[in-house]
Amino acid sequence: MAHLSIQQLQVSYGDKTVLHNIDLNIQQGEMVALLGPSGCGKTTLLNALCGFVPVGSGSIFMAGKDITNQPPEQRNITMVFQSYALWPHMTVAQNIAYGLKVRRVPKTEIAERIKEMLEIVKLSGLENEKVTQLSGGQRQRVALARALVVKPDILVLDEPLSNLDAKVRLSVRHEIKALQQRLGFTSVIVTHDQEEALVMADRVAVLNNGHIEQIGTPEEIYQSPKTPFVADFMGADNRFVYAPKITGKAFRLYLPKTSLELHHLIYFRSSAASICKDLDNRNLDGLTLTGTVEQSAFLGQNYRHNVRHGEQLIQADSPDCWPLDSEVSVHVPPHALYVYPHMARSA
Amino acid sequence: MRASTRNILMIGPAAVMVLALFLYPLGFSIVSAVTHDDYSLTLTHFIKVFELYSKDIQFTVLIVLSSVLILALLSIAISAMIVLSPFKRLVAILSMLYRLPLFIPFIVAAQMMRTFLAKNGLMNNTIVAAGLLTPMDTVSFLGWTGIIITFVWKQLAFTTLLISGAMAALDQSQIRAAQNLGASRLRILIQIMIPQVLPTIGVALVLSTVTIMSVLSVPLMIGTGSPTMITADMAFRVNSYGDYHVANALGMISYLICAALAWFYLRQTIKEKGAMS
Ligand SMILES: Nc1ncnc2c1ncn2[C@@H]1O[C@H](COP(=O)(O)OP(=O)(O)O)[C@@H](O)[C@H]1O
Ligand SMILES: [Mg+2]
Repeated sequence: MAHLSIQQLQVSYGDKTVLHNIDLNIQQGEMVALLGPSGCGKTTLLNALCGFVPVGSGSIFMAGKDITNQPPEQRNITMVFQSYALWPHMTVAQNIAYGLKVRRVPKTEIAERIKEMLEIVKLSGLENEKVTQLSGGQRQRVALARALVVKPDILVLDEPLSNLDAKVRLSVRHEIKALQQRLGFTSVIVTHDQEEALVMADRVAVLNNGHIEQIGTPEEIYQSPKTPFVADFMGADNRFVYAPKITGKAFRLYLPKTSLELHHLIYFRSSAASICKDLDNRNLDGLTLTGTVEQSAFLGQNYRHNVRHGEQLIQADSPDCWPLDSEVSVHVPPHALYVYPHMARSA
Repeated sequence: MRASTRNILMIGPAAVMVLALFLYPLGFSIVSAVTHDDYSLTLTHFIKVFELYSKDIQFTVLIVLSSVLILALLSIAISAMIVLSPFKRLVAILSMLYRLPLFIPFIVAAQMMRTFLAKNGLMNNTIVAAGLLTPMDTVSFLGWTGIIITFVWKQLAFTTLLISGAMAALDQSQIRAAQNLGASRLRILIQIMIPQVLPTIGVALVLSTVTIMSVLSVPLMIGTGSPTMITADMAFRVNSYGDYHVANALGMISYLICAALAWFYLRQTIKEKGAMS
């Protein structure tokens, strides 16, 4: 049985429904990422978990116990806030000790656990600093220590890395992940950064407009996105509509398991495409089309080319820089093509 | 050179206003408090003040301190209810009600309290009608209790406005952070919110003190005559004897009381600032 189980959860602000029928099960010790664009309801879901916003319908179970209507102070769920939400009038140690004091843990034990926690988050020696004097990364760790020291049933993190600069973000990302593996806590982490979700989480739930579009391992989400939204969000930013009978010399689609008598919506990543001089005579599986190079940009490891094929502009990466206006063939193998029925046309 | 001329021109009018409307009268009262009519220095006015009115000075200080203490407790409690209560409808009503006294002048408040608190006033009549007391047992609240009640009732709106504003401006997630670590609302109020709004509480109370010290209508209309507050004594000296010297000496005393409180407050805030940096 799942450690945390969210069933048919619905949350509204006034008459605006922000979360629709959310179903999510989280196992003990698992780290689940909620991934989605800004405004899709990620923070609201965490707030509902913590009890900060009332639930419209549906229920939340923690270790088999219904906590849907429990007040926040009785749930053993702690949050790491986007803005850290440290208390500025307290020192580092006082911030971390707060939850333990509330739980009436004896003083000597509090001291021990703070010391241990400071070591874990690598802040030893800073216990008597005012939190206002810490850097962003250090504040983040205090917030993490404060939430973890009470041994919560679930730790939830709301975009914990979004206020850090790029370099610190990478190191804190690894630290949080390492910590989670070492201490084995169960956690839900919210992010709008797909890479962050893939690297940190055991499973990823992609949220769009208050719906869960897909839940799966990072590999599943990345390699077989179930909906156009997920494909797009996971970086497959080439999109076009396939209509039957457009196949010819300049455009050929061959997919072993898909009927080509219908309209399809097709997505693929620029990095999955390859550029050649001429593929005409080879009948390759997948997508092959010809076009003109309109623009190229150096990305470091390779070049990204904008290739014009009629109305359609396609982006394809290549280790070589193809000259502007040259005629090229672009090929995408079948496993890298994400194909969805295109309702509007095929109906 | 040109820049400094311009600076003088810019602050000039304001400086002249301050000089003419504040510093000159203040200087004049100080001089008047320590001189005879012929401008020879003397302490007789102050000696007279202490002989005649030391009871009233004590009375004033006690009234001010009790009013401010009650104000602090009530306005913190109301602000906390407004900011922390989960009952939004109730909060909306409360936050409209508490503001009403802001728009009522002291003299009107005093008049209302007179009819409300007297021995056969509205309050006692209601209690008697409810059968809780007989007319014989009722007591008048006019006097020091009435004065405190009026001051608190009138100033509560102002202090609550400032304090609840400061509390509402606190980062909501700081409160949530305490909540999901298991803290009750009371604990959050005492340990998370009050320490962060202390400077605002200080300002609200110091400003209220100054206001209370300067109100004449309330002690005149609700007080029982003796002991009374310094303002009433000043009015009496001027109206009955035309004695501006003693009135000004009394004014100096209330000015010193306010200054002492302001100094105490400033010292506290500077100490806290020092501790923070
Ligand atoms: N307190 C609130 N009152 C009304 N609407 C809100 C409130 N908080 C969030 N919303 C709305 O709910 C939607 C989801 O918000 P949120 O959960 O914060 O999104 P995310 O964290 O994914 O960016 C947004 O459209 C936002 O405008
Ligand atoms: Mg958010």
